[in-house]
Amino acid sequence: MILPASISIKQIALAFVTGLLVLMSLIAGFATYQTRAVTRSLEQHSQDAAHSEIAAAIQQLLSQTQDQAVNLARWDETRQQLVMPEYYSYWRDQRVYESGMLSSPLARAALYSHSGEVLAGGEPKKDLPSSLPAGPPQTRAWLTLEAGGIALYQTFTVYSDEQKQALLGHGLIRVDFMPALQQRQRFYFVDTASIALMLKPGETLAASELHSRLRFKIRQDQDQLRFQEILSHILLALFVLLMVSSLLEFLAYNHLLIRPLHRLSDDIDAMQRGRFSDSRTRSQPLRIVELENIRRSLYDYQLQLRELHGSLERQNREFHSQAHQDALTGCHNRRAYEEDWRNFRDELKTAPQDTAFLLFDCDRFKTINDTYGHAKGDRVLTIIADALVMALRANDRLYRLGGDEFATFLSHTTPAQARQIAQRCQHLLDAANFTDLGINEPVGISIGIAYCEAGRLAHIDELPKQADIAMYTAKQPGRNRIALYGRDTENAAQTLVASRETSALFQALGAPGLMEMHYQPIHALPGRNVAYYEALARIRYHGKLIMPGAFLPVVSSRRLETEFDLAILHQVDMDLSSQLLPLGNGVSINLSAQSISHPEVVSLLLELSRHNARHPLMLEITETSLITQMTEVRAYLDLLRTVNYRIAMDDFGTGYSPLRYLVDLPVDVVKFDISLVNKLGQNDRAGKVVADFVHMMNDAGYGLVAEGVETESVLNKVESLGFAHVQGYLLGRPVPLAQLAARPAATASVTTCTA
Amino acid sequence: MRTFLLCLLFSALPTSAQAVITQLEMHPGIPASAEYLAGQADRPAVLLLHGFLQTRAFSTVGALARGMHDAGYAVLSPTLSLGIPGRNKSLACEAVHAHSLDDDVTEIARWVAWLKSRGHSRIVLVGHSFGSMQLLAYLAGRPDPAVKAYIGTSLVEAQVDTDSRAGLIGKLERQVRDRQRTLVTARLSFCKNYPSTPQALLSYVRWDQPRTLAALKQSPVRTQLIMGDADELLGKNWIKSLEEVKVPMVIVQGANHFMDGEHEFDLLERTLEFLERTRMSSQQ
Repeated sequence: MILPASISIKQIALAFVTGLLVLMSLIAGFATYQTRAVTRSLEQHSQDAAHSEIAAAIQQLLSQTQDQAVNLARWDETRQQLVMPEYYSYWRDQRVYESGMLSSPLARAALYSHSGEVLAGGEPKKDLPSSLPAGPPQTRAWLTLEAGGIALYQTFTVYSDEQKQALLGHGLIRVDFMPALQQRQRFYFVDTASIALMLKPGETLAASELHSRLRFKIRQDQDQLRFQEILSHILLALFVLLMVSSLLEFLAYNHLLIRPLHRLSDDIDAMQRGRFSDSRTRSQPLRIVELENIRRSLYDYQLQLRELHGSLERQNREFHSQAHQDALTGCHNRRAYEEDWRNFRDELKTAPQDTAFLLFDCDRFKTINDTYGHAKGDRVLTIIADALVMALRANDRLYRLGGDEFATFLSHTTPAQARQIAQRCQHLLDAANFTDLGINEPVGISIGIAYCEAGRLAHIDELPKQADIAMYTAKQPGRNRIALYGRDTENAAQTLVASRETSALFQALGAPGLMEMHYQPIHALPGRNVAYYEALARIRYHGKLIMPGAFLPVVSSRRLETEFDLAILHQVDMDLSSQLLPLGNGVSINLSAQSISHPEVVSLLLELSRHNARHPLMLEITETSLITQMTEVRAYLDLLRTVNYRIAMDDFGTGYSPLRYLVDLPVDVVKFDISLVNKLGQNDRAGKVVADFVHMMNDAGYGLVAEGVETESVLNKVESLGFAHVQGYLLGRPVPLAQLAARPAATASVTTCTA
Repeated sequence: MRTFLLCLLFSALPTSAQAVITQLEMHPGIPASAEYLAGQADRPAVLLLHGFLQTRAFSTVGALARGMHDAGYAVLSPTLSLGIPGRNKSLACEAVHAHSLDDDVTEIARWVAWLKSRGHSRIVLVGHSFGSMQLLAYLAGRPDPAVKAYIGTSLVEAQVDTDSRAGLIGKLERQVRDRQRTLVTARLSFCKNYPSTPQALLSYVRWDQPRTLAALKQSPVRTQLIMGDADELLGKNWIKSLEEVKVPMVIVQGANHFMDGEHEFDLLERTLEFLERTRMSSQQ
């Protein structure tokens, strides 16, 4: 069995109304059929009634005529005329009527003698026969067609005695049949004008055979016709009324039921689709109680759903916000960044545009965080984020990628505009007041910018990496803290955070052997003999040597200083243990300030101090990093000095507080940075300041090392100023341990590391 | 004169058990009938005549006949033919009236003769209303000697329009003289329109009050009038005139012309009293 498809209530209503109309039409048809049957029955009844009516009328007329004949036969005055016909005409024309013997002038009477001759008194009547037809003297009646119409004759016999023994004569009554018949009574069923008797002129018809010759038509019953007309009108009116009422019922049904149900159905569909539009009509009450209950329930249910939906939406927004918003700064978080960046790249496929990617990083944030505490560090991040948001354009979004690193990508932006925005960010941040936080030192950000033209969007995925490179380029000492990839990063930066180098770094940290130490000689002055070697880290990855400029930014950005230093110490330990290094030559090891305070590093250094007897060891602390835990560092350095480590301040002149470090830390050697050493070659105030500073440091007892000496003039200057040691390409480049071991022993005559 | 006697007995009433209907052919082809109630032989027979255009079946006459018969008197109640064969119903005023008073008197004589033929030697004539006048007309002629007495009840003259009787009589006499047979319609007695032949009408019209009073006065037999003092059909001074001629007359107080109702008994009683006196006197 095939089930019918769902049908609408409107179709049901239409079907119902159509069915009703069909039913009413059937009823009307049945009523019409019944009416016609009744009409036929009435017509049959009328026909029967007409037959009965005319039969009765004729019978009454015949009976009346017969009665009149009997009465006339018994009437004294009739007998009087038969014995004394002198005043017969008076009797015939007057007495029979005024006495009531004949009731109508349509009937006339005549008397005849015993022999059948009409009485002679008065003028004879033309329409009355002068003699009776021959025959026995008996009462009989007949009809005949005469010139004036149909005449009914009724004879009677008059006796002088009651015993009817003495015949006096005869009588005859002539009746104008048709007028008398019509006058006799009002015909309701017979059309009186149509009554006719089929008689030939002169033909005589016995009254008993009258019916066989009688012809007539049935009168149309006016009441019946009126009844049929009224019934037809009623049926028509009923049909029209039904049509109109059906239409009105359908409209009312549509108005009261269908439309509200549609409305409810639409509302339910809308609710299913999650649309909770505030329809004004939805709050209008319905006229049907049950529908009103449904509407009210639905409305209440909808309100509840809307509230629930709104609550869910709020929660979703909150969740979305939480998921995409950085809880600390209020800007977008990394998840938002990843989604937006993915969407942005998809949009670029269809709408190419110039794009710039900006990467922000707070300078020395860890130092600030470690110095002033995490709470203030968080506040610093908040202030930075606020400043960046204010500096960005209205539609630009700021993302916090992690820690103190922020990013944004700018559409429809040229490199100049990107740099302008970056400068605005720095200006706003420079204007920010951090003194309320107790931070008196400047808080700045480095900004790396990567740019991609609309026509080169195939490289759009490179933008974050390029910006990262640019950002670390900007962080390089001497930079203006804003770097545009490609223009500012130069070659060194190209491998800064390349994935290959990063991978190599992590493998080197995890697997000893990849780290390779190169040793650069440091010469003593004035003899220019090698005093000791500075151990410089390299990573050999897939046969190629990766220089420090490529992986140190990664170490710094990944906060891998400790792990990196541990790896170096292990490698130096291995090199020293290999005894390939010339006996007596000291080794200077670079350590980050963060590692000095790390117990594991200190422990390893203590273990490494066993080589001091053969190779005096020096620790170089770079002055560019901020030492936040000054007390702990000093304590560890003091400890290391007890095991004969010498402490050198590396890259002096490029850091934050060189004098403070010299005062607070147990520094034995100060290594002047190449930027200061190069100043010595100038005969200006800067050169003089540096020279004076060299004298002052010498006077204070610090052993001085000049780094980056690459020319003879600088070497002579350094030597003249009293530097104890010199380091640079002029005298020696870093070489692998194996190469160092292969050198002649003469070069290793000086073995102390006393600079 | 042929006499047809047909006796039919009807058994409806005890008195009727003795009733005999008899017919006499008064004119050729015009039989007339009478009801005969046999009585005691020692008592006179009564010929009781109905009123104007009535028959013996008239209530006053019928009741009186049965009363007298019950009293032992033979009673013959004829119905005047008025020229109609076998007349048995009262004749309409508007019918053709070709009969005359003479015809009526002739028929009375015939019935008196019939009574005599039945052995009645003493006959008392009793009439009602116009019949009393017709009997008086018979007595004014040549009454049969067997007629011994006369009772006229509610006697009236032949009433016509009072002011025109003389003119009417003159007119009728002229018509009779001219042998005119055209029907004349006039008032006669209680008929306002009474079509009649001039001769026949004249025979009645001549019997005005004086002639009637004269006939009473000259009555050859014992005479008795029985009148009702409430008879509105009588002439204005008729009772008074009757009293003036000193005719024996009994006036029934409160009785109308037909003496119906309770006055039937007064009429019968007065009639029987007279008959009894007549019988007694005849025996003496």
